[in-house]
Amino acid sequence: MENLFDKWKTKIPKYSEAHKDLFNSLSQKFGAEGEKKINFGKHFSTNYELYMYAFFLGLYNEEFSPIPDTEKKTDFSHHIQHWGSKTTTLERKDFTNLQENIFLAVVAKTNVDFIALEKGEIKEDDVVKTLIQTMESYTNGGLILIKEKIDENPNYFLQSTSFLNMILDSKLGKKKQEEDVE
Amino acid sequence: MIVKKISIENYLCYCGIKDFELSDGLNIILGENGEGKTKFFEALDWLFNGNDDGLELLVSAKALEETEVGKSLRVQVSIVVEQYEEKKIITKSFLVKKLKANECSISNYMLEGTEENKSGERVQIDGKNLLDRIFPFQIRKYSMFKGEAELDIFKSDGALTNLINLFSDAKHYDKYSEKGILLREKAERAVEDSTKNDKKNESLYKKLESDIKIAENDKYKLTVHLDSTDEEIRKLEGKLQAAESHVKNADALETINKRIKNIEDRISDLNGKIDENYTTSLFDENWIAVNFETIHHEFAEKISLFSIEKRKQQSEFDKQKGIKEGERKAKAELLNNSIPLPIGVPSKAHMEEMIKDQLCKVCNRPAKKDSEPYNFMMERLKEYLTSQTHDEEETNDNPLYKNDYTNRLVNLSVSQEDNLKNLRGVRTRIKDLFKFNDARKKDIEQLNTELDGEKAERDKILGNSSIAEEKLVDVLKNYNAWQGDLKQRNHEQLDYNSKMKIVLAELKAKKEEKDTIDLKSANKFLIKTRAILRDIETIFKDTKEMKFDEFIEKLQGKSNSFFGKINIESFRGTIVFTKRIKGDKSIVDIELQEDGRTFYKPNQSLLTSMHISILFAISELASETKEENFPMIFDAPTSSFGENKTAEFLNLIYETENQKILLIKDFLSTDKKTKTLTIKKEFEHVKRNKAFWVKLERPFDPNNLKTINTQVITL
Repeated sequence: MENLFDKWKTKIPKYSEAHKDLFNSLSQKFGAEGEKKINFGKHFSTNYELYMYAFFLGLYNEEFSPIPDTEKKTDFSHHIQHWGSKTTTLERKDFTNLQENIFLAVVAKTNVDFIALEKGEIKEDDVVKTLIQTMESYTNGGLILIKEKIDENPNYFLQSTSFLNMILDSKLGKKKQEEDVE
Repeated sequence: MIVKKISIENYLCYCGIKDFELSDGLNIILGENGEGKTKFFEALDWLFNGNDDGLELLVSAKALEETEVGKSLRVQVSIVVEQYEEKKIITKSFLVKKLKANECSISNYMLEGTEENKSGERVQIDGKNLLDRIFPFQIRKYSMFKGEAELDIFKSDGALTNLINLFSDAKHYDKYSEKGILLREKAERAVEDSTKNDKKNESLYKKLESDIKIAENDKYKLTVHLDSTDEEIRKLEGKLQAAESHVKNADALETINKRIKNIEDRISDLNGKIDENYTTSLFDENWIAVNFETIHHEFAEKISLFSIEKRKQQSEFDKQKGIKEGERKAKAELLNNSIPLPIGVPSKAHMEEMIKDQLCKVCNRPAKKDSEPYNFMMERLKEYLTSQTHDEEETNDNPLYKNDYTNRLVNLSVSQEDNLKNLRGVRTRIKDLFKFNDARKKDIEQLNTELDGEKAERDKILGNSSIAEEKLVDVLKNYNAWQGDLKQRNHEQLDYNSKMKIVLAELKAKKEEKDTIDLKSANKFLIKTRAILRDIETIFKDTKEMKFDEFIEKLQGKSNSFFGKINIESFRGTIVFTKRIKGDKSIVDIELQEDGRTFYKPNQSLLTSMHISILFAISELASETKEENFPMIFDAPTSSFGENKTAEFLNLIYETENQKILLIKDFLSTDKKTKTLTIKKEFEHVKRNKAFWVKLERPFDPNNLKTINTQVITL
C-alpha cells in the first residue's frame, strides 16, 4: 500500500536564512545543559522543536507565508522521522503523534488531486514536494510572528508561559475558546 | 632490629662518653625540660638522617672548653644493634681541633659501619649502606616522632597510601596491574585495527571512538568536580562543628538545624513538584495540538470526499466495463444508485456473524435466509472474498487506479480520531496545572516565612555562646554562610552524581556498540584474546584493591584495639579509615567518629592517643610483613596526657612487642625549698624494662653553656 506519510517523513524541510538568528537564540542544538538549564522550559531544547512550534503557530494563525525566492533556504539536516526523542525516552517523549498531526494539517491545507495521483497522472514525488512547501510556508509564517514579538519586546520570551500563551491565543485558539464558551 | 646500646660522645650537652644500654622492650628516659631529652632524640636523628651541615654547632661547649688549644676531641654518636643474631655498629663522628679559646676546625666527618658475625669477627663496611639495610629509610620515617604534632604523619594526602603500599601485599600486584593494563590496551588496539580494515562501518566506528573519548573526558571532568566538592563539604562540616562547639545550647541548635533542614527539604520537594516546563509540555504532552480539532476535521472531510469520489468513479468504471464482475456488483447495487462502502466494510468476521445470526447488525433488522437483505450480505461477503484472491483475468485488465493512497489516509484520519478526545482535555489540563503550580507557590511562600523564623531563632541560640562578642559576630556571619555553602555543595554533589550516572551509562552504551561492531568486523581470535585480557586486567586490579582494603581493615581493627586500651574508661569514639578515589589515586582518610558522625574537635590528648594507636598498629603490621621488629622512638609524645594517663599508657605499651624508647618529662618533682629534683614514687608502679634519668650535672650556670653536662643515670 502506498504511503504518503512514510515518504513525507523522510524529508528535511527548510527555513529561510533570515530566521537563522531565531534558531541560534531560542533553541539549543544539543539540548539544554548547565546554566542554561535554568531557562529550561522557556526555550526549545532542539532546533526541530522550534521548527514544529513555528509551524503550528503559523497554522493556527493562518499565516501562510511561502519563503520568498530572494531569501536563501537552509535546514538543520534532521529528517522529520527523527524528530522527537526515540532513544532517550527516559526524559522526553517520542513525537510520532505530532508528526502525524503535522502531516494531516499539511495535507488538509495543500491542494492535491489524489484521484489524479492514484490514477498515476501526477507523481508522488511532486505531491510530497508541494506538501513540504506548505509546511515550510506555515513555519515561515510562524517564525515571522515570533520575530515580531521579539522586536516588540526582547524580554517577552523570558516568561515560562510565553510560548504556550502564543499557541492558546492564536486565531484558531481564540475561536475555539469562543466556541467552548458558547 | 634491636638497639642494644646508644653512645653519645661530646654531643651538645652530653660531655664525655654517655652510654645507654637498652632493653628489647620498653625503655623510658625521664628528664626535666632542657636537661637533655630532646638532645638525645636529636643525636639519634643526626645519626640516622643528618648530614655534615653546621657540625661546629653540635660540639659540647664544656668538652671544648676543657680541651687544650691545639688538641683535638671527637664528637660521636653510635648505636650497637642486633639483627638476626648478628651485631652491627653504626657510628657517625667528626674531629674537632681547638684553634683558639672559642675557635675550632672540623674534620674527618664520617659514617662507619661494622658487622660482627657469630664467631666475633668484625668487618668494616659502608655505614650508609649498612644503615639502610638494617633500618630502611621508609621505616625510619615511621619510627621516630618528636612531640605530639609530628604524630599526625597522615595529614598529607598521600602519606598513608604510601605506607599501606609499603606494607600491604597490594604492592606485589602493582606490576601485574600495570602489565594487565598494557596487555589489555594492546589487545584493544589490535581489535580496533582489525575492525578498521572493514570499511563498511568506518564512519560509524570513528564517530563512536570520538564519542567515547568525549564521554571519558566528561567523566574525568566530573570526577574532578566531585572530588573538590566532596572535599569542600568535608571542610564545611568541620568548620560548622567547630563553630557549634562555641555555642552553649548545642542540643537546641541541633534541633533547630534539623527543623531548618526539614523545611528546606519540603521547599525543594515542592519546587520539584512545580512543573513549569510549559514549552516542553507543548511537545511531550502534545499541548501544541490543542487547536488541532478544526484542522483534523478539515483533513477528514477532504479525505472522505476523495474517497467517495474515488469509489464513485470506480463504480462507474466497473459498470462501463460491463464485465461479469461488474454485473455481479450491479446485483449488489444499492438503492437510489448510492455509492457502495469500501470493500471489506463491515469486516469479513462481522459479515459472517451477521449472516449466521440472520440479522443485519448495522440497521438492526432481521435478514432471514434467502431474503433480500440476506442475499445482499452474502453478495458483499463474496465480493470481499473474490477481491482477496488474485484474479488473473482482472490483473490483465487495465485498472482505473494504479495506486491506492487514500486508504492509508483514511486510516490515519480514523486513528487520529481517538486522539481528538485527548486534545479536547488539554485546555482544562493546562488550567489545572496552573492552579496546582500557584497553590504550590503559595505553600512555598509560607514555608519561607517559617524558615525565616527558624533562622532568626538559630541566630538567637548562636548569640548565646561562649566566645567574645565581636568574635561572635564573625562566627555567626560565617555560620550562616557556611550552612548556605554546605547546602549548595550538597546540591552540587547530587547534581554531579546524577550527571556522572548519565555519562557512565552513555559510556557503557557506546562501548557496547563499539564492541558489537568489533564482533561483526574483527578477527575472532583477536576478540577472544581481548576478552581474556580484559578479564585478567580486572582480576589484577580487583586483587590489588582487595589486598589494599584488607590491609586498611586490619589497620583499623588494630588501631581501634590500641585506641580502646589507651583510652580505657573514657570517651574515645572510633577511628575510621575510609578509602576514596581522587583522580586515579586511592586516598585513605582517617577520621574519628562517634555514632557514625565525624568528630571534628577532639581534644589534643584524644588526638594524640589516636595517632599513637595508629602508629602502633602500623608498627605491628610492619613487623608481621617484614617478619622483623623495629624500634619506635618518641620524644614527649604524651605531653597532653597528664601523669595518670601517661602511666596507663606506658603500662599498655609495655605489653606491645616492639622495642620502644620513650622520652618523657613526667614522674619528676622538684623540692620547693632545696630545689632538688627527685623521681616520684608513682614511677615505681610503671611497668618498664629499663629506665634512665637524664639530668644536668649540678651546679650549673644556666647562662653558660660551658657548665652544661648531662648525666645519664640508669635506674
